[in-house]
Amino acid sequence: MIWIIMIVTGLLTFAMRFVMLSGVAPRKLPAAFGEALGFVPIAVLTAIITPAVLMGEGNSIMLLDNARLPAAIIAVIVALVSRSVVMTISAGLGTLWFLTFLGV
Amino acid sequence: MPPAHPPPPHEPDPPESNPAGDDAPSSASSEFWTGVRDELPLQLGVIPFGLVFGVLGIASGLTPLQTILMSSILFGGASQVVFAQLWATGAPPVFVGASISVINMRHVLYSASVAPYLRQLPLHWRIPLAYLLTDEAYAVSIKRFLENPANPFKHYHLLGTGMTLWVLWQITTTIGVFASTTIPEELSLGFAIPLTFIAIVAPTIRTRPDLLACITSGGLALAGHTLPWNSGLLIAAMGGILAGWLAHRFNQPRVAQ
Repeated sequence: MIWIIMIVTGLLTFAMRFVMLSGVAPRKLPAAFGEALGFVPIAVLTAIITPAVLMGEGNSIMLLDNARLPAAIIAVIVALVSRSVVMTISAGLGTLWFLTFLGV
Repeated sequence: MPPAHPPPPHEPDPPESNPAGDDAPSSASSEFWTGVRDELPLQLGVIPFGLVFGVLGIASGLTPLQTILMSSILFGGASQVVFAQLWATGAPPVFVGASISVINMRHVLYSASVAPYLRQLPLHWRIPLAYLLTDEAYAVSIKRFLENPANPFKHYHLLGTGMTLWVLWQITTTIGVFASTTIPEELSLGFAIPLTFIAIVAPTIRTRPDLLACITSGGLALAGHTLPWNSGLLIAAMGGILAGWLAHRFNQPRVAQ
């Protein structure tokens, strides 16, 4: 079963990468659709980031005693200033390790 | 000693570098290797991500073969991570398909963006280039296309960026799969995944509708985190897109009647 899901989602992903190169699709995306698509990366990735930062053991939201939260805040600042993926990951993981090492 | 190859009669020797600037003729192979070189700095973010995906795949109950092949079948980091997470929660297949589709919908934008440069190519070029059209390859090659729209070999640049990413993604996934038991838990390498996404998302939030999409999505993801099959993710993504789009429409200056 998993193979079928993988292949179908793989084909769907390829179709989305190919559609505008296919020669079949209209040359321009419909305006409203194009605008909505512009919000896809922000909405999707934020929906992945937030629980990964804030969820603790047993599905509880952790605001205190959670080293990932300050690490993520530092990462956002570094991302905004440096616009570098490498710097952002380094700063975030560095903060997390440092706080874990301190036992915070 | 190998026999010397005669140069092809119809083509001049490719210049080693391109000092004359954008208008100088460039060969297919130099364009390809420029793509490879341009893509390399991004690999510092891709390598930990690939390793983490390999580890995560095994931890989510996928077999080594399934984890490794997913990296070439789906070939999209965010969607592969979510696939593994959904699989671990036992989500129904249709739901997995819907979630992956929403996550990968952004590729339609990339496809539309490169289409003016690649539309004329034969199908045997457009198919592999579409397959290689990931976030990282697109981000690098679209800059090259914009700077050099008339270069007849520009598609080789995307081939170079795409193949660099593809090869490293396969290698790091495989290493992650086989090293999954030896990477210490305390390193919290899994946190590299949200950090990568923070690096991608944070600089793209420029307008109020962007910020609204972000806040709506984050809030819904937290509110819906106890829903079965990780469905909070899908709801949050759709809610964020809708909120951003409505705000954008509402913000549009009205055209005088």
